[in-house]
Amino acid sequence: MAAEARGIQRWSGWLFVSPWLLGLALLFVYPFVASLIWSFSEYDLLTSPRYIGTDHYERIASEIVQGKGFGKALWNTFYYAAVSIPLSTIMAICLAVMLNWQVRGQAIFRTLFYLPSMVPMVATSILWLWLLDPRDGMVNGLLSFFYEAPPLWFQGIQEGVSTSSPFQFGSKDGLTLMSLWGVGNFMLIYLAALGDIDGSLYQAAELDGAGSFQKFRHITLPMLSPIIFFNLILGIIQSVQAFTQVYLVSEGTGQPAESSLLISLQLFLAAFRDLEMGYASAIAWVLFVFLALMTWGLFRSSRNWVHYRGVRI
Amino acid sequence: MNNVAGKWKWMALLCVSGMFLLPLLLMLLASVKPAEQLTGDPYSLLPDRVLFQNYRDALESIPYVKYLANSIVLCVGSVAGTLISCSLVAYGFSRLKWRGRNLMFAIMIGTMLLPWHVTMIPRFVLFSELGLYNHLAAIILPTFLGDAFYIFLLRQFFLSIPEEISEAARLDGLSELGIYWRIILPLSKPALITVAMFQFVASWNDFSGPLLYLSDHEKFPLAYGLEQFVSSYADQTHLLMAASVMFTLPMIILFVVAQKSFTRGITMTGSK
Repeated sequence: MAAEARGIQRWSGWLFVSPWLLGLALLFVYPFVASLIWSFSEYDLLTSPRYIGTDHYERIASEIVQGKGFGKALWNTFYYAAVSIPLSTIMAICLAVMLNWQVRGQAIFRTLFYLPSMVPMVATSILWLWLLDPRDGMVNGLLSFFYEAPPLWFQGIQEGVSTSSPFQFGSKDGLTLMSLWGVGNFMLIYLAALGDIDGSLYQAAELDGAGSFQKFRHITLPMLSPIIFFNLILGIIQSVQAFTQVYLVSEGTGQPAESSLLISLQLFLAAFRDLEMGYASAIAWVLFVFLALMTWGLFRSSRNWVHYRGVRI
Repeated sequence: MNNVAGKWKWMALLCVSGMFLLPLLLMLLASVKPAEQLTGDPYSLLPDRVLFQNYRDALESIPYVKYLANSIVLCVGSVAGTLISCSLVAYGFSRLKWRGRNLMFAIMIGTMLLPWHVTMIPRFVLFSELGLYNHLAAIILPTFLGDAFYIFLLRQFFLSIPEEISEAARLDGLSELGIYWRIILPLSKPALITVAMFQFVASWNDFSGPLLYLSDHEKFPLAYGLEQFVSSYADQTHLLMAASVMFTLPMIILFVVAQKSFTRGITMTGSK
């Protein structure tokens, strides 16, 4: 009987996963192979692909060197990630710590803090386009008390974190602000992790006379470090994949002057505006390899700063 | 002493809540302001007159009902596809033992790490060749082929159901499909609800799918239809905000009603 059951399981297993197997073939294996081949081809959707060698990859390399096209998009994405990931990490941890306070109405505050993250990205973009309007926006209405010339946000090419125009915020800073408003998912992950920390650690520290800050620095932060690491990787992937909000705030162009042209939008425009499928496929592969290397590098470096169960490994 | 600290904490939470909700509140207020107030006195907080008329105007100036119908078709179709395919596949990966299972599962996890950029263009070409361009089916059909993220989530849940239940059912002569349908699915309602809701929200919000595959206004779902509205009504903030409120409200209501399922799913898997 048992043997018979195992025999049935042997083929019914494949049967049960067959929808996914079909998906694997159609949505992953075929596209994977096709895009690799097309990245070495000239392809405009209308005529069949023509092999041209490594031209697209050479073009990408030269664009990185010259800082235009893909190079420009790479810089924009790097700037956006480098500003928004640390800020959202700090903010998410602070909010999670606050929501972990044992006060009346805790559940309601959790709902309120998360609510903006439920707003669809399209609506979020429409809302912030209006709030950050350089002339009529509420944000600049407030900032005009501090600025002689308030920031241009989505109409400006400035970069708020720089030496040339500090605090003159441009399009990418607007995107950062939007990402901070929707930081709820990260916050919830930290909140769950805080709940998992053993309370006796804090009691022991209190007996040793540790203050609130010391407890945070020497217990909370190390215990959160695996989650910080996990969210760091998630944040990088999200920055590279950010598309909807980038498309919406720049009317699908990456304007002004390509200052909000993040990588996903650049790839999309290369493919579906310029019909350069080969070049776009090459970009996708460069991104893929870049992300894989980056994740691998982070995993290697994580041994030095990520604590698993409080033990450095 | 403790009470004082508690009051400060409570105040701090209240302030931060206010900061998070203020943009939403401003959206709500702008949606009932007269158009001339928004252009003439943009920094004023409260509406001079409360104009619910804006909502009716928004409904009339964009084919809101049409877009809404498309959104519902998209959401219901995608949720159905996801629930059927992902639960079947997750059953195969958790409740059955077969050679190659672990390898296949590892490959599935691997596909999650692949950025969509790599597969986007060939998928587009494939669906166009299949005649799916400009059909909602181009966005709905892939959900019937499973999604690694949801399969993983359901598998974790299925694994927590004791194996003895399946053994007993097999001795009673129930087929694997019978065990899946009569035993495992009813026991997994919370996980299935979480998956259904995630997919519903994802489909409701999906912008890039319609952008890629739809060209005909008649077929636009709300998320994409609203974007069209942005460019042509840029100076009609009151209508834009009214339309945005109507688009956002279902998500807020869904979250408030089903908060538990949401937060469980997010903390279980690390993302939405």
